[in-house]
Amino acid sequence: MIEGSLLGLLLLLLFGGLIIGFTFLGDYWPAGLRRLRGYEELGLALERAVEAGERVHLSLGTRSLIGLEGAPALAGLTVLAQIAASTAMSDKPVVVSTGDGVLTVLAQDTLHAAYKKVGAEASYHPISSRMLGPTPFSYSAGIPSLLSNEEVSVHVLNGSFGAEGALTIDFGVRSQAFVLAGTDDVQSQALFYGTADHPLIGEELFAGGAYLGEGEVHKASLRAQDIVRILIIVAILLGTLLKTFGVLD
Amino acid sequence: MRIRANLFWAVIAIIVGVIVLLGYFFTNPTLTSLRELLLRWGALLAAGAIFLGLFNLFTVHWNKVNDQSEGWPYSAILIFFFLVTLVLGIIFGPDFEVLILFFNYVQLPIEAAMMALLAVTLVVGGFRIVSQRRDVFSAIFIASALLILFGNSPMLLGGSQEFTRLISIVRDWISQVWSVGGARGIILGVALGAAATGMRVLFGADRPYGD
Repeated sequence: MIEGSLLGLLLLLLFGGLIIGFTFLGDYWPAGLRRLRGYEELGLALERAVEAGERVHLSLGTRSLIGLEGAPALAGLTVLAQIAASTAMSDKPVVVSTGDGVLTVLAQDTLHAAYKKVGAEASYHPISSRMLGPTPFSYSAGIPSLLSNEEVSVHVLNGSFGAEGALTIDFGVRSQAFVLAGTDDVQSQALFYGTADHPLIGEELFAGGAYLGEGEVHKASLRAQDIVRILIIVAILLGTLLKTFGVLD
Repeated sequence: MRIRANLFWAVIAIIVGVIVLLGYFFTNPTLTSLRELLLRWGALLAAGAIFLGLFNLFTVHWNKVNDQSEGWPYSAILIFFFLVTLVLGIIFGPDFEVLILFFNYVQLPIEAAMMALLAVTLVVGGFRIVSQRRDVFSAIFIASALLILFGNSPMLLGGSQEFTRLISIVRDWISQVWSVGGARGIILGVALGAAATGMRVLFGADRPYGD
């Protein structure tokens, strides 16, 4: 085994251990979450959409699940489960869009499972999950008709997007929908900050499950992230100091 | 019985996930070949899922045409070209010149036009920030964007050579110190968030394959 790999494995084991530990500690030592206006407002927007008989749209990104860009979409599926459950009784259940076949299938499974869990299987329809286009801009081109035809009032982007994500957001803003948007791509996050009402920056994209009440393990993973982040920052600072004073080559 | 089926799928997913993960850390030949085999299966399944996705796309637009719902002519055009490109691709292969012509003179210009539209979108977004979201972070965001813009094209501001040089120094300082530092912090956060999401799937706490 290579030295760097050993360190990576140890870090992952520590990360996993912390998540399990905090999950069990959650009942005795509840996690306090910092305020995230986007998720707070999302809860209210969902209630308003259900009462007004308007639809919620969730986008899982324009990229594939296979590869490094898969994690934001997995986080998006968790958010989808929560949104589907909380809007199950609406006349117009949530509609999901993707740019990838695998995600379309997974979104169908997630929707089906979420409706079944709350006893609203009748709300499930296979084409509630749609692949709008296989390329980033063909996906974005399909958004305006989806937003207007489905009378969308809540437009959530939780997945991996490039620059086309800003256009996708803008179509939502123009249709006067509530827009909450996040991506893992750093440059696109700057575009999202400029276009979305409620942009999600950095790890906020992955915090949806914890903020929407998906379960203790989601809160535990946020706590674990904080601890590992502090350890990494300490390591960076230590490395900088050692390098500055010539201890490290 | 249902719970057992769910448990079965979760166990399969966890075992596959653990094998692929360990394959990154250990160089055991059996583990490496097993990992590569599983990844190949994954790629094959993903290729199959593309067809499911395209079938889904076709169904959505077919329903729109069938119901004559708003914008149905666009869906009809989509279905027509979908079938034309599919049939031509299957018969003559992806390098067939008509398909390349479609790509170069239809899809590419449209996507390029949408990319150009993005510039307008961002300017409008900038104005929206100034008028609707008046806080410290938005002010810093707009000021940085303007400084980088003028730093890249100082002739827009006019002024002396000394002033132009000063603007360039400020631009470099923002883009190479503050911006890179901030971006690294965000990347660290994203990496940790992605790792935590992966862990939850590995533990079976998140089951994107359905309950």
